[in-house]
Order: sequence, then structure tokens, then C-alpha cells
Amino acid sequence: MDQRLTSRAEKKSQQADPPGQISAGKARGTSSVIGLLVKIVALGTIIGLAVMLTPALISTQQWGFLAVIWGVVIVLAVTYASRRFVPAKYLVPGTLLLVLFVVYPILMTFQLSTTNYGDGTRTTKEVTVSRIIGNAAQQVQGARTFELSVGSEGTATSGPYTFLLVDTATNDVFAGTPDGLSELDPGAVPIEGGTITAAEGFTLLDRRQINEFSQQGGDLEGFAVPTDDGVITAQGFSAVELFSPLEYDEAADTITNVETGVEYTPVQSGDRKFFTSADGERLSDQSWGENVGMNNYVRAFTDPRISSDFVGIFIWTLVFAVLSVGTTFALGLFLATVLNDARVRGQRAYRSILLLPYAIPGFIALLVWSSFFNSEFGLINNLLNLDINWLGNPFWAKVAVLMANLWLGFPYMFLVCTGALQAIPSDYKEAASLDGATGWTNFSKITFPLLLVAIAPLLVSAFAFNFNNFNAIFLLTEGGPFSPDNPTAGGTDILISYTYRLAFGGGAQQIGFASAISVILFIITGVLAALQFRATRALEEVG
Amino acid sequence: MTQVNPQAGQVVSPSDLADPAQHAEPFEHPRGRSKVRRGRWFKEVGWRHLVGIIAIIYAIIPILYTLSASLNPVGSVSGSSILPQTISVDNYVALFTDPERPFARWFLNTLIVAVAVVIASIFCSALAAYAFSRFRFKGRRGSLLTLLLIQMFPQFLAAAALFLLFTQIGEVMPAIGLDTLAGYIIVLLGGALGQVWLIKGFFDSIPRELDEAALMDGATHTQLYFKIILPLVTPILAVTGLLSFIGVLGEFILASLFLRDNEIKTPAVGPYGLLDADRTNNRGIFAAAAVLPPIPVILLLPYLQKFIVGGITAGSVKG
Amino acid sequence: MRTRTTRTTVRSFAVVASVSFLLTGCSGGGGETTSADTTATTAAAPAAGESAAPAVRGDEDLIIWAEPPRVEYIQKIADVFAEENGITVGVQGIVNPRQEFITANSAGNGPDVIAGAHDWIGQLVQNGAVDPLQLSPDDLAGYSETAVDASTYESQLYALPYMVESVALYCNTEYAPDTYASIEDVVAAGQPAVDAGTLDLPLILQQGELGDAYHMQPLFTSAGGYIFGRDAEGNYDPTDLGLNKPESIAAAEKIASLGETGADTIRRSISSDNYLSLFTEGRAACMVSGPWALPDVQEALGENYSIQPVPGFAGMQPAQPFMGSQGFMVASSGENKAFAQEFVANGVNNEEAMQILFEASNQPPAMVSVREGVTDEDVLTFATAADQGAPMPALPAMAEVFAPLGQAWSAIVGGADPTETMNQTSETISQAIAGQ
Repeated sequence: MDQRLTSRAEKKSQQADPPGQISAGKARGTSSVIGLLVKIVALGTIIGLAVMLTPALISTQQWGFLAVIWGVVIVLAVTYASRRFVPAKYLVPGTLLLVLFVVYPILMTFQLSTTNYGDGTRTTKEVTVSRIIGNAAQQVQGARTFELSVGSEGTATSGPYTFLLVDTATNDVFAGTPDGLSELDPGAVPIEGGTITAAEGFTLLDRRQINEFSQQGGDLEGFAVPTDDGVITAQGFSAVELFSPLEYDEAADTITNVETGVEYTPVQSGDRKFFTSADGERLSDQSWGENVGMNNYVRAFTDPRISSDFVGIFIWTLVFAVLSVGTTFALGLFLATVLNDARVRGQRAYRSILLLPYAIPGFIALLVWSSFFNSEFGLINNLLNLDINWLGNPFWAKVAVLMANLWLGFPYMFLVCTGALQAIPSDYKEAASLDGATGWTNFSKITFPLLLVAIAPLLVSAFAFNFNNFNAIFLLTEGGPFSPDNPTAGGTDILISYTYRLAFGGGAQQIGFASAISVILFIITGVLAALQFRATRALEEVG
Repeated sequence: MTQVNPQAGQVVSPSDLADPAQHAEPFEHPRGRSKVRRGRWFKEVGWRHLVGIIAIIYAIIPILYTLSASLNPVGSVSGSSILPQTISVDNYVALFTDPERPFARWFLNTLIVAVAVVIASIFCSALAAYAFSRFRFKGRRGSLLTLLLIQMFPQFLAAAALFLLFTQIGEVMPAIGLDTLAGYIIVLLGGALGQVWLIKGFFDSIPRELDEAALMDGATHTQLYFKIILPLVTPILAVTGLLSFIGVLGEFILASLFLRDNEIKTPAVGPYGLLDADRTNNRGIFAAAAVLPPIPVILLLPYLQKFIVGGITAGSVKG
Repeated sequence: MRTRTTRTTVRSFAVVASVSFLLTGCSGGGGETTSADTTATTAAAPAAGESAAPAVRGDEDLIIWAEPPRVEYIQKIADVFAEENGITVGVQGIVNPRQEFITANSAGNGPDVIAGAHDWIGQLVQNGAVDPLQLSPDDLAGYSETAVDASTYESQLYALPYMVESVALYCNTEYAPDTYASIEDVVAAGQPAVDAGTLDLPLILQQGELGDAYHMQPLFTSAGGYIFGRDAEGNYDPTDLGLNKPESIAAAEKIASLGETGADTIRRSISSDNYLSLFTEGRAACMVSGPWALPDVQEALGENYSIQPVPGFAGMQPAQPFMGSQGFMVASSGENKAFAQEFVANGVNNEEAMQILFEASNQPPAMVSVREGVTDEDVLTFATAADQGAPMPALPAMAEVFAPLGQAWSAIVGGADPTETMNQTSETISQAIAGQ
């Protein structure tokens, strides 16, 4: 192990380019010893940790986690303990993070997109059935209520447990177990403040213990004492006698209301099933989670609402992304070119102030801008003496969105262009000037193409960002204005805000469907970006 | 930087030299020549200032507006005033004194998150960028493109998945689950490679001969990277650091998902909660809370200027 | 206690884990570790520090979620309950707690108690997120009937109501000093000052570009419109959508007469962004808003304001705003259910607790006996307004109503044809409900 860890590691790195592998032994100074130590300590810690977490993970059966943790350990060990894979040594840290917290969630999103997960379907069928039955439980006429103490026949933690009950109406005392209720001798149990405080043969639990054992998986979870009229269950530190008219027959998969005799069976409706009676009455709005395969994708492509709006929204999304990038880049480049002149004093001040909009968190700026666009009281109309219904007219709302987005985005472009301009070697320009080139030819023939090559990838990223710039739309117009005949597709809706409303609008979340849309959007964005990269590669070759 | 600076390169007349005050103010020119000069000055330089000033007005109005709202004691953003009718710091006082809104704590949280994320992500990005710049390995171009494409996936589209993921993580390791700053930091680190492209461009601009020479002298790759190359790229690290700092400052979708406890909120989530839950009442306080978080950035900007001058996309120009 | 120890151990491992996670990020490079070391400690320190501090969820014996502005007064009764039971209680302010709660509860890391509006109940029950409360009729007799009615869903009580709210009419007494019998009178009162140029408009009723069905409801009901009909037992019936019924269309026409192409009283430019400042700056005579606007109104206008229930249209029915009831609900998957049930059934279900809540919030109490002791006229007016209102339907179907109906109001106020708009909107909403 020691030998493998020595930082001669890099010595034989054949992948290195340029061929600089003539490195020598004398390099092993103090720093490489420290490096070695750090390596050993870090790898040791990671392995130690994985070892320590393993028993807990096994006991809770978190196999996925176990695999991931050991997978990470193996990747790190292989990369850093070996002398090979030099590029990997540089790439692994960021890549691991990317894989764990971006790629894996994307895969999870895909997995979610094949389910009907969302409001009303978050629970399993089993839980749904028990909730439906539980929610129907009521105190029947003459039902008793009790003050509750809990006794254990052994120590407080061992059980078995018994409910020690005082009827709040009659002060009769009872002992209740899952086997039934039995009356106690009132003289044998002291009562203080309405509750039993001691009982022969029982260790009484304090409230904290009752709470703890009532937790999920605790011995008191679901503890119920059957009676003639229903069951007695705990409600905090009291107990009530409840009766639910519903019964579930697992074999027949029906819930029956024993009072009315109506049977409810699961009936498919949309992407989910509901317990429904023969005459179509739903027992409850609660459904349960199921795998639906590719149904969410089918829905995304066949839903008439989506297909009728899609083309228009897709075009506007493209226009919005292109114009957002175009306007911010144009303004940023213009300002950078104008101010990037050594004769201009106070460049630092200019730059600092022009970068300010970028420093203001976008969601705050957008809320401010949305108030600027108010047709009657907004700053823009008042200051410029206009009477434009900015957010109420679909065309002006689009302009408004672009204007706000320009303000948000130009500082970044300004920063990037300033940097790029300064990096263009001035001898290029000088040479051109000597050839008699004027300022404009100089710019358009030399500066601009060089700059474009440098910035093209950033423009592509900016395009992709704006293509899915949910905030810019949602915080400014919420996608509006809407025409009354189509409240789902607003005048400024881009794909992501539109689908967000479809999936989450109205407050009912359809996460499965939203995930499918996310995956589709991801693919569209990726394809568009890849196409652009192809185009810029051509550009790079020209440059 | 070879352009002649007319002010610096100006011929100074002997009479100017005689007057120390004049000398200290090279802007002040002898009267007779000023008209011509001013005309030329405007044509070459002055108009640039004009553009700059217009741009500054454009950039600063919404900020002034927010500032004005934060100083407006009525507590609501009025119709359309850039300058407040009455000035008071009530909103700021309220911001820092209300125990239900531990703003100072939120502010600190943001700094913790931003600093942690910036350092870790710049570190990872710089490492990866170096690999992409210096090594020619199989699938290099492919992975570079894949990286860029994956990063175009807005993390919040996977919000539901992230929530479920961190719920599970929290069960095993509560210290990095939901409702912890550490968990939030880690999820943001999913974008740790976000700055690879910019940094790679800069690495590309550093001549390879430098690496070769260092390796010849017996430096290891580790030494080469940390002792020689990294110091050379400080400018771009500073700039990308700033970019990602600002990114963290403005992030609120994941923050609202991850940071629910009052103590661990960031200003991005806290004030949004104020506004969302209480309609317009808290507008003034909201504005005050909006004005404060960018301050660290604003303070950093002038300092980072000299790095920006270093050239943000230096290498790519040379290809 | 066993579980607690394991948790702590795992937690401390995890702190180390996050440290070394970042550490490896840098040791990967091989040399300098200082920068990433700092990251690791800063990143881990708050998490480690907080696990000892009382405020992190999971560490208290009882966790309550509420909207951020409500935390302050809920904390007061939480403290009392904590003291009485010798436990710790944490109240967390959550943005959008309704949706957060549903998600977190199903993931098993939600709170034990959620404080929220009664109209959440339908969606919460749909998700199996809350348990019914088993309170005796005697207990409930002490509460305002509308509040109990509102908190009851499918014949089960799900929330213990503690305050009620609805919109009322604020007037700036400088311009509108009287009590008004109709909305026309309200407009008439402010009109002279508008004509004289001292006021921008007589009445503020916020709509915005996207509309606001909540604030329009008093006028809509006064003119005879309705959203959902009620069945024989008084429950809202999602199959009886009233928006395209003749009376609703007539109401829409009545509203259009106040819109931008009519009297220009109701305008889209008045939104949730600016309604309050317009009123507090004295640019309008009256305003339809809820108790949340009161502190600002008092601060800006001092004594020069009055509050009264929103009047209806002249000669038509009384205005019936949406009434909302705030209450405490027990989470179905909370960790500490026993304490949660105890808190709701006994901790807040008594006069002292309700009194504390009232004094700290100054909002109309839901408990009758507390309300009897209220002397603040404004609170009493809001209480009356709420009693005159109709509970906002808690049906999940209601979620499909607000946005489209708001958009319809925005369009109608802006001059769109009321009949056509209401028909289209009704069509859209019934489709959405059917697809639910």
C-alpha cells in the first residue's frame, strides 16, 4: 500500500500531454510527504466512515445507500491510491458531486416520471385504505371518553402495555388491552387530577414515554382496545371510543360501509384509482401511488390542451431565449467596447456600478420590475409619460419581460466581454491599424470574430439558461396576461412556466407528470444546445 | 494597452509646470486651447463617458428604487417614487430586532453557504479545467460537451427528486439532510463544475512550455499544479468565484426546499417568506432585506477589478 | 432513549463525513489543503452547532409549522404548553406551509402539528396528511359556528379553529366618514374628491392583471353569483358549479359596470403590490381588505379610518365575503403524535390559550367566550364580517377555481364580454375538476 501511495504516482503518467514525464526523484521534498500524509489520512477517513456507517445502513436495509457509499470509496481509492489515471485525479472530485447531486437526481426524476406520484397519490394503497377507514371513524351516540394512563407489566420499556382508563363522565376505571376492556376496582387505583397515577402490578409510563412509544414502529402505535361499540384508541393523553362504519375486504379489494351496505371498489380515473360505488360515488378523494409506465409522456404529447398551445409557446420560448441572449450580449458588448479604452478615466467605477444589477438577487429585482410595469402607477409609464398596458397586453408583456431580463443579464455579458476584449492582443489591432483599418472595420473584422470565438460557449449556456428561465417569467408576469378562453397558456408563458402551471397549477401537484415534462424539457434544451455547439465549432475553426 | 493616452502623453507647457496646482490637475488646460481640445476630447473620449453615465442611470434606478422603499417608513412600496418622501431606518431596525426574523443570522448563513460553495466549487472546477486543458485523454471533448449539457439541466426541475433524495440521506446522516446548511451546501455543490469552461480558457492561455520546464526541473504534477499553475490563474479564480458567489446569493428555489427552520434560512428565503405570507405589509422590510445581501459583492467588486482586467476569457481567444 | 443515542452517533459520523467529503475533494489534488479545510469546517460547524441548539426540527418534542407571520403568537401558547408538559416545543415559520407540509409529511419528516387555514383541509385529507380530531360536541359548542362549520370536512372535524378572518371595508374618514348601505354609496362618497383631483380613485379593490377572485367575492355574491352550490346538509357540492348560471352572469355584468369600461372604479392596475400604499398614502377613500392591513392603516392614518363590513350593491343581496378560519391540525405522520393530539385537544382548546392567542395577534378569535371580552371595535367589526361571510370551500376542486376565475375577473374588469367570459371560464374549470 505504502509503495503504491508514494507520490511517484505521477511519474509514469503516460496520458500527460505535453510529454513532460522526465520527472525525477529529487522532487520528493517535504511537500510531497505532506501530500502523501493528506492522501492517507483522507482516504483512511473515508474508508473508516464507510465502515462505520455500514452497520446502521445494513440494519435499516438501505442497500442503495450502502452501494453508493462504497462505490464512492472504491472510485476514490482507485483514483488516488494508484499511480495511473492522472486526469481522473483532477476530474473525480467535481465529477462525483455532479453525478451524485445532478445526474442521479435526473435519473430519479425520470423514475418519478413513470409514476403517478403527486397530490392524492403520495401514499401506498395500504396506507390509503387505513386512512379512509380511520377518517370515517367517529364517536357514536353515547360514546365514552377517558383520561388515559399507560401501564407496563414489566419495566417502562419492556411492555406488555395496558391502557388504564378513567371514564370522564362516570369516573369508572378500566384496564384495556388489545384483548378487551375490564373494569377495575375504583378503590385499588389512586386517581389524581382525573387520571390514574398508580396501579398494582404496573409500571406507569410518563407522558414523554407514551409519546415515544406511540411513534412509528413503537409498541403503542395503533394500540386499540376493542369494545362492543367500536374501539378505544388514544388521542394524546386521553382516549375515546370510536366506530368506523367502513370495512376493507382485502381478498375482494372492496371497502364496505356496514351501515348503508354500499360497496366501494377501485375504479380508474385518469392516472389513478378511487374507491367508487356502483352508482359512481367516490368514497374519498384519496388515491394511491402506482407505476404508470410511459403514460405521463403519452399524456404530454396527446393532451389536446398541450398540443394546441405547444407550437406557439415553443416559438415564443425560442424567441425569448434568443432575444434575451441577443439583447444582453449586444448591450454588454457595446458598453464593454465603449468603456474599454485606456483614455476613459474611472473605468473601475463604471464597471463596479454597471455590475450592480448582477449582484442583486434576481427574484428581488424581478419583483421590483413588475411594479415598474404597472400601467397606472408604474415608474415607466409615469416617468416616460406613456400609457402602455404593459402587463395586460400580450405584446407589451413580452416586451416588458425582455426589458427586465435585459437589465438582469447585461452586466454578466459586460463583464465577460470586457474580459475578452482585454485579452485580445493589441498587436492584432495595431497591425490592422497600420493596414489602414478604421475603427469599425477593426472591430467587425478582427475584434468581434475573435471575441465571438471566446464567448460562444458562454452564449450557448446563456441561451440554455434563458430557455428555462422560470424566474424571469414567473416572478414578473406569472405567464400572463391570459385570455379568458384559455387560462392555461398566458401571453408570456415559456415552456417551463406553462408546464409548471399544468403540473402544479391550482395547487394540486402532479409530480409524476411534472417530472415527465422536466425530462422532455431537458432533452429539448440538450438537443438545441448540442446543435449550437456544432455551429460554434465551425466558428471556432474559422477563428 | 498600447493606445496613447492623450492625457498622460500630453505635452505640458512650461507655464503649467511652474504652477504646482495646475500640475496636479492635468484636466485643466490653458484657456485658448480648450475649445478645440474639448471637441476632440468629446469625440474620442467624452462620448464614452456619456454612454457610461446613461448606462449607470439605467443600471441603478431599480436599485435606488428598492433602497428608497427600504427607507420608507410606511412599510410599503409606493406607486412610483425613486426618492423617498420621508427617510427612516425603521425597516432596518425592524429587520435586525425582530426575534422572529433573525436577519443577522440569515445573513451569516448566506455567507457561510456562499463561501463554502464558492471555495469548494472553484477548487473542483479549477482541477477539472486543468485536466481538460492539459491532458489529452480518451473522451476529452465528449466529456467536456457532456458536462456543459448536463449543466443546462436546471437543478430545480429535479426538485422533487432532490427532496426525496435528501429525505433519505437525512435518515442515515441527519447532519446533511434537509433543514441543514450542510445539506444545502452539498446539493449546491452538484454544480461544482459550473465554472470549468471559463477557467479552462484561462489555463489554455498559459504556455505549455511552462509545465514542461517545471517538470524538467523535477517538480511533480502536484507541485506543478499548486505551486506554479494555480497562482497564475488567480484572476480567473477570483472572477468565477464572484460569479458563483452571486449565484448562491440569488438561489432561492432549492433554499426554500431545504431551509425551513427559521435559524438556518438565508435572506433569499426569509424575506420571500415575509412578502409571500404577509402580502404588502412587509414591503419596506423586504426591501431592506433585499438591499443588504448584495453588499458583500458590492464591496468585493472594486477589489476584483484588477483581476477582471486580467482577462476573463484570455485563453480562448488564442484557441 | 436507545434511538436517540444511535441518532446522535450517526449524526456525529455525518459531520465527520461532510468534513472528509470536502477534504478528499482537495487531497485529490495532492498538496495544499488549507482552503478546502476551511470550507469543511465552516460547512460542518453550523450543522454540528445547531444539533445542540433548540431550534432545529427533530430535536424538539413537538414541532409546529405555521406561516411566518403567525409564528410569533403561536410561539406564546407553544411555550405555555411546553412549560406545562415539561417538554420542548418548536414553532417553525414555513413559506407555503400547505404544500411543504404535504410533501414533508409523506416523506416522514414533517411537523407534528400544522397551523393553517380551513380551506387547506380538502387537499390535506386528499393526501392523507391530517387526522380527524375527536372532540366532543361540548368542546365545540364554545366556538363560533361558522368557524366549526368551516373546519369540518366530510362530517369530520380536522382543525381546531382559533381565529377567523375575512375582508371588510376600510374608509379614510377624511373623505368617507359614514357607514354605507351600498357599494354605490361608497363610490359616491369618494367621487367628489376624485373629481377635484385630491384622490386617485374612490375605492380600492385589488385585482391586478391576473385578477383576484378572493377580493371580488363580496361583490359577486351580492349581485347573486355563486361558485359552488350547497347540498341539503350545507356541504359545498363540487358538481354544482354556478359560474355559468344566469345569476352569476348577471353578477358579472354588474361587476363589469364598475370596471374600466364602466365606472372605472375597479382597475387591473391595482394589485396586491400597491393597494395598501395607495390607501395609506391617502390616494383613495375606501379599500376592501382584510385584518392584515390594519397595522399599516393605523400607522398611516392614525384615528382617521373606519372599518365596516363590505356593503353589497344597492337593492341586491348582502355581500358575502369568503370567510377563513385559522386552526391547528394534527399531522398524520408526525413523529410525536401523542403530544400533537394533546396540544390540539387540550393545549389550545381552552379559554386561557385562546385568550393568549388573541392578545398576541389581535385578530378576531374563534372562541365565543374570548370574543365576548374583546373591546377593540376593529376586531369586532372583522369578527362580524367573518360571521356574515361564507366559509371558503375546502374542496380540492376549489384549487381549480381561483386562478381561472381571477383571470375571468381581470378580463371582465378590462372590458371583456361578461357572458362569454363566464361561460368559457366555467367550461375550463369544470374540465379541470373532471380531470382531477
